[in-house]
Amino acid sequence: MTSGSATDPAHANHDPAHGTAASPTVMDGTAGLARADTAIWTRGLTKRYGARRAVDHLDLQVPRGALSGFVGPNGAGKSTTLRMLLGLIRPSAGHGHVLGEPITEPDRYLHRVGAMIEGPTFHPGLSGRRNLDQLAILRGIGGWQRALRQRRVEEVLGQVGLGERADDRFSTYSLGMKQRLGIAAALLPDPCLLILDEPTNGLDPAGIREIRALLGQLAGGGMTVFVSSHLLTEVEQICDHLVMINGGRMLFQGHVTDLLAAEDPRIVMIPEHDADARRLAGLLGDEGLRVEIDLRNGPPDASATRGRRPVVTAHAPEGLAAHLNRLAMRAGITLRSLRTHRPNLEETFLRVTGEIDGDLVRTAQAGQEPDGSVPPPVGAGLDPAHSRGGAT
Amino acid sequence: MIAAFRAEWVPLLRPRFLLGTLGAVVACALLGTVLTFFSVGHRDFDGDPVTAAALSRPDGLLQGVQAVSILLGVVALSVVAASLAGDHSHGTLRNQLVARPHRARLLAGKLLALAAFVVLIVAAATAVSVGLSFLLAPTRGVSTAAWSSGAGLVELGTGFVNLCLGSLGYAAIGALAAILLRGPAAAIAVALAYALPVEMLIARIYRPARSWLPVQLMQEIATGGAADPMPYADALLRGVVYAGVMVLLALMVFRRRDMTA
Ligand SMILES: Nc1ncnc2c1ncn2[C@@H]1O[C@H](COP(=O)(O)OP(=O)(O)OP(=O)(O)O)[C@@H](O)[C@H]1O
Ligand SMILES: [Mg+2]
Repeated sequence: MTSGSATDPAHANHDPAHGTAASPTVMDGTAGLARADTAIWTRGLTKRYGARRAVDHLDLQVPRGALSGFVGPNGAGKSTTLRMLLGLIRPSAGHGHVLGEPITEPDRYLHRVGAMIEGPTFHPGLSGRRNLDQLAILRGIGGWQRALRQRRVEEVLGQVGLGERADDRFSTYSLGMKQRLGIAAALLPDPCLLILDEPTNGLDPAGIREIRALLGQLAGGGMTVFVSSHLLTEVEQICDHLVMINGGRMLFQGHVTDLLAAEDPRIVMIPEHDADARRLAGLLGDEGLRVEIDLRNGPPDASATRGRRPVVTAHAPEGLAAHLNRLAMRAGITLRSLRTHRPNLEETFLRVTGEIDGDLVRTAQAGQEPDGSVPPPVGAGLDPAHSRGGAT
Repeated sequence: MIAAFRAEWVPLLRPRFLLGTLGAVVACALLGTVLTFFSVGHRDFDGDPVTAAALSRPDGLLQGVQAVSILLGVVALSVVAASLAGDHSHGTLRNQLVARPHRARLLAGKLLALAAFVVLIVAAATAVSVGLSFLLAPTRGVSTAAWSSGAGLVELGTGFVNLCLGSLGYAAIGALAAILLRGPAAAIAVALAYALPVEMLIARIYRPARSWLPVQLMQEIATGGAADPMPYADALLRGVVYAGVMVLLALMVFRRRDMTA
């Protein structure tokens, strides 16, 4: 059974030849951007540690004013990339520009950049306020006017909600408080570009929400925010732009909605009588849809009666749900449950990062897919053929 | 560089650190002064007799603190190594580098601040020692008249400058160790191990090496060229060259290195 869903752009122009595991899989939703329109722009950015490539030919393009998420599994090379952007480490190859200035000259742009890399690091023996004070002096905030400097420190402390504990020593802070101080330090210069490496790590739910609101507000005010995170639901909620890497290589960059829109939407049906499953699958197959039958525990909401029930999954957009229902009804099949499913960022991420190699192979063989049990649903392979328009 | 200089004072002036460091150097000064005056009528480490007459000379006032110049050097080395390597190990350096990306200027500012701090602690030690010397002099039959004479003041000034230069030489060794090793414990341990046992052994086994080994030269400078027949000016020149090379090396390594801490 093959894909018949013409609404899925990923299938429309799939080219398995590009899907070799070794080739960098670049998807670029911002390919048309000129360097001047980007806050971060790199070409072939590479960092080698011995034989290992921590970052491998990254072509980043983060548009100005975007709230961009930077995601990838542990060891993907996110922090290494951010360090290169901040002039902390030298690229082994490639070049790039931040705010229009070359990354080889960090002193030309870092006064407009605020950053927190790999967690909050401060002097343990100094209070939060004194730590910020030191950074404010370094940045020349307020010049020689102590009052101006202190006012700015006070402002950022307030922004992250750390005002009350600001005079305690950093070593006595909780993880979340340290994190807040790190964000405060990044905000100190009132930057054009804010680079945060896992800022919500260790924050409580309310704290995560506050930071989400804060980042949204900052991006709304015109600041470009480039934030790495493992909290994909957060990224999906707040980021309009996304960069996804794995093994130092680009998997996707562009709009979150574009990534998800390309994902394989599904309609999941459970017939009332188990025996109808195969007939239902045949029926849908005749309609030209790719169909799978999966023997698994039915979705929690449907399982008044426990046990393994066949689940029929059709790869079809949400709009076809009513049509499929009608089709089943006409054939005398009653559906116990029918729901539509669109993979979220987390699922997409897990599939793309965890199974990219196998997935590409599997997508290439999609034609011979047996309609037996297929544990993880197979969606669109991400490959260079899937260029996502040029919209920003 | 000025911003880096100013910013470095924030951690240096935190009360615990300041009081701890001052406490250490004051204790050293007290020890050196008390022992120097109590050794009147005995022989010193090198076997030379210590006499009230010698202490009554214009340069007698600083004998006490000069006796522990090696300890001041050790404190200076440790303070500088702990501060610079601490920036690496706490990870604060990466924040500072984002705030002040010009690496050479950042480190130069830090080194200047640390040098000023070393001068400050040497001044504290000298002041305590001078005060105590005036208190102890009458009890050991030492005359203080020459101390406050014109010649005495000149000796005080040059003696203090020498102590500072010697301690700054030690500090340069600490700075280089910190930049190379990046951890305070390792930096202090390695620098002290080199400065004390290693050099001392070499100097004892092969005496002419004394006029070429950096720490021996710093010691020479700190005591105003008292211990060795080598001209003080030679020692000063060599010491300054050594310290300059060490600082330059630290700057070069710091400029080029990947900041992965
Ligand atoms: N100084 C270093 N020396 C050697 N290898 C390094 C160094 N720094 C990073 N790496 C390697 O580079 C790769 C990428 O590391 P990086 O810290 O950038 O990952 P990350 O995406 O930030 O991961 P995480 O989500 O766990 O923070 C890893 O394989 C890591 O082992
Ligand atoms: Mg990381």
